[in-house]
Amino acid sequence: MEKAESQSGIDPVIEAYKKDIDVTLIRENLRLTVDQRFQQLMKLQQFADDLRRAGRKARSEK
Amino acid sequence: MTDFNALLRLLVEHEVEFIIVGGAAATAHGSARLTFDLDIVYRRGHTNISRIVNALKPIQPYLRGAPPGLPFDWSIETIEKGLNFTLVTTQGALDILGEIVGGGGYEQLLPETIQVEIAGVECLCLGLESLIKVKRAAGRPKDLEVIAELEQILDESK
Repeated sequence: MEKAESQSGIDPVIEAYKKDIDVTLIRENLRLTVDQRFQQLMKLQQFADDLRRAGRKARSEK
Repeated sequence: MTDFNALLRLLVEHEVEFIIVGGAAATAHGSARLTFDLDIVYRRGHTNISRIVNALKPIQPYLRGAPPGLPFDWSIETIEKGLNFTLVTTQGALDILGEIVGGGGYEQLLPETIQVEIAGVECLCLGLESLIKVKRAAGRPKDLEVIAELEQILDESK
């Protein structure tokens, strides 16, 4: 990273966000192959879709 | 759901010259964040645009968010006249980008890429440091948390 970039005004915000990052998740992901990371992403997408559908259904049944 | 495997295979099988960028590139580098679309930077030029048009035709590309029924001609001429297209296809959301802020086009990004294997095909993906650089250049509020994670990945990878 060039020095000029690291001194930009957005840095304090980025540093603040870093405190809340779950490093254990990153370490888990870094142990996977790139292909495995994408298969995991698609499973997560599927799960998010299922959750959305379930939420819509629950709201419509109220 | 976006079928990243299917989209990437389709592009590679049709010999499209492209670079994975955006959230999918972050995933390739180890990001734990959920992304719903595949962003690629494609080489401008008639031959490559022709390959993109042929590759995507079977999956019915249409402008994402556009009202149904709006005339959209998926053709070489359309792509040549435009630059960046956010598309929905039968295999999910796909953004084909002629240029990205802070990174430029395919030729500028090419030296900054790494080769990755996804779904049995070899693709080019923007390198981690360059991905951080373009996210910083874009300066979008929604990217700040992403940048924080990518920089953490960079530290962990050292």
